[in-house]
Amino acid sequence: MPSLFVFRGNDQGLRIELTEELLGLGRDVANQVQLHDTEVSRRHAVLRRADKTYMLSDLGSSNGTYVNGKRVDAHRLTSGDQVQIGNTQLLYTQTSGDSGVDLAQKIDIITGALGSDRSRIVSAISQADGSRLFDPDSDTPAHLRLNRGGSNLQIIYRTALAASHTLDIDELLDRIMRLIFDWVEADRGCIMLMDPQTKQLVPKVRRHRRPGSRDDNERISISQTILDYCMQHNEGVLTSDAQEDERWNPAASIVRMGVREALCAPMTGRYGVVGVIYIDTLSPPQDIGQRPAANKFNDEHLKLLIAIAHQAALAVEDTQYYSAMVEAERLAAIGQTIATLSHHIKNILQGIRGGSYLIKDGLAKHDEHMIGKGWEFVERNQQRISTLVMDMLTFSKEREPDLEPGNLNDIIQDVVELMVIRAAEKQVELICEPNPAVPVTVFDAEGIHRAVLNVVTNAIDACYDTGEEEPTRAGRVVVSTEYAPTEKLARIIVADNGTGISPEDLKEIFTLFVSHKGSRGTGLGLPVSEKILREHGGRIVVESEVGKGSQFILEMPANLPDAIRETNVDGGQ
Amino acid sequence: MAPRYSVLIVDPLEETREVLRTALESRGVRILATDEPAQGLALAREHGPDLIVLDVEHLATAPQRLSDGFAAQSRARSTPLVLLGSARLRTGRQMASQGEFVAKPYHYAPLIRKIEELLALCQQPIARRAA
Repeated sequence: MPSLFVFRGNDQGLRIELTEELLGLGRDVANQVQLHDTEVSRRHAVLRRADKTYMLSDLGSSNGTYVNGKRVDAHRLTSGDQVQIGNTQLLYTQTSGDSGVDLAQKIDIITGALGSDRSRIVSAISQADGSRLFDPDSDTPAHLRLNRGGSNLQIIYRTALAASHTLDIDELLDRIMRLIFDWVEADRGCIMLMDPQTKQLVPKVRRHRRPGSRDDNERISISQTILDYCMQHNEGVLTSDAQEDERWNPAASIVRMGVREALCAPMTGRYGVVGVIYIDTLSPPQDIGQRPAANKFNDEHLKLLIAIAHQAALAVEDTQYYSAMVEAERLAAIGQTIATLSHHIKNILQGIRGGSYLIKDGLAKHDEHMIGKGWEFVERNQQRISTLVMDMLTFSKEREPDLEPGNLNDIIQDVVELMVIRAAEKQVELICEPNPAVPVTVFDAEGIHRAVLNVVTNAIDACYDTGEEEPTRAGRVVVSTEYAPTEKLARIIVADNGTGISPEDLKEIFTLFVSHKGSRGTGLGLPVSEKILREHGGRIVVESEVGKGSQFILEMPANLPDAIRETNVDGGQ
Repeated sequence: MAPRYSVLIVDPLEETREVLRTALESRGVRILATDEPAQGLALAREHGPDLIVLDVEHLATAPQRLSDGFAAQSRARSTPLVLLGSARLRTGRQMASQGEFVAKPYHYAPLIRKIEELLALCQQPIARRAA
């Protein structure tokens, strides 16, 4: 199935399977492929199905659409194409042929002595011998040797190239199989990989010379004995179902049935055999009489297939190791996440335990001050766990912003109202300065509220945790809004006169689980705020000076309600 | 009324310090508190508290000399140590011989009881020292 994979940019890791006839790409939420990248136009490009692939067309975007480094207006995509839109880079891949389930039903591995197809091994070549593709051959004239060597070299070069351009095993094997069919007159072919768990060969790619024809559905029968021979001896084999002494005897049954020749080569990597490549061809009865000596496959083909299989095996191993490495990193990240979250939750629970103890002790002593103090701890930790859970939820899931018309001034007023008591407890003045020029725009009110709340909480903490025994100035946090009509941007600005952030720390303030607030910080707040703004096609800009304070600007496109409605209508076309 | 005992709390969590402060002050104990081990050792040397509550997990990330300093302080003045942390910590196990080890996560009621018991055993509470 054709798919796009974002390998660079804000949406890195996103994979989109292309199933629809028409897909829009752009920053706007109305696009089927929404890219959270400020360098991407709202409606940047469109993908339109064209036969088995897609035609990519730029929609007059500001920054253009690039395929494999070249700017294009329209381009018919082929598998492996790299598409660049803004700062986002995507890989287009497309595998042809059948799925694994279909393949298992189309390939038979026949047990028994060389199978019921009467095949026998005509020639076997080890991998070491297979590598002597370019050795001088005394029987062949020099100019023919050079031609043949050059041709083989080209095939190996193309194989290496095909193997180096993808980390998708199915895609890689599909390319290898296509390459083999370009080079040799095979009728059918398949590549099977060994399942690491079951040690069984599993069909991965199947190809017929005439894809889509009635013959394409023909089952491929492969002798288990030949496969076992290949795997155990690590040798490629050339087989034929004809009996040598009667091969060209017109009276023999082969003349009625034809001759099936096959090549089977082990895919030998650095550490062992990872699979086999099998191709075969059938010479119809009428051809046999006309071309008595014209076998379609010979040792030269076998050597080349062994060399290709080796290249493919190395690439399969690399891809498998890469996948294993990615998986290991993923597991390590999960482990780190669990450890970090557990640590925060443990501290919160300890805080609740402390609060509960003080309440109980205070009740026993009829000490209202102690009860009040204990209740304060319980409430504070209840808020901490609530914030942690909300931040985790926001960060963990891919979510579409719930866009509704609203006014950012209402959001900052809500946040200030919520935080004013906490700020007062810490002797920090919290000021709200809504700008009446800010129009009603479309945004996810809950998301933006959370983003602003996190930034304001940090600002208050930055004013409180100055590290000074006797603060030299009163803490002050100002939350304001701004509208830039020409740029069509709306901004929420949170400015504080706290400790400020050093240039070194500034580099990692949006890094997950990195906090400079000691045991009170989870390292989730700012990454969550940044993610929310990104989901709106916006960003957070930070200016800070140590000892003077910081300014966080939450900037996003000012989508007016009418504009969104129009975009949605366009997107539905 | 002047407090009879003084306790130094060295713990990175503000809430832990505050809970212990509130609970122990209501029992007539003077509290010295800090989140920094180095500052804690300086307070211990300056004020000679009757008991030290020490987060050893936090201490394990500090230079070894601080652990040694608290241990020496404890020996020199017979100051009991209440060590909070995971039992697997080497520093904790070494110092545990000089004090009471309380494994995390702990409950406050037994911890406060433990502190009260140790304070009761103190031979030189503030009042007597002052006298």
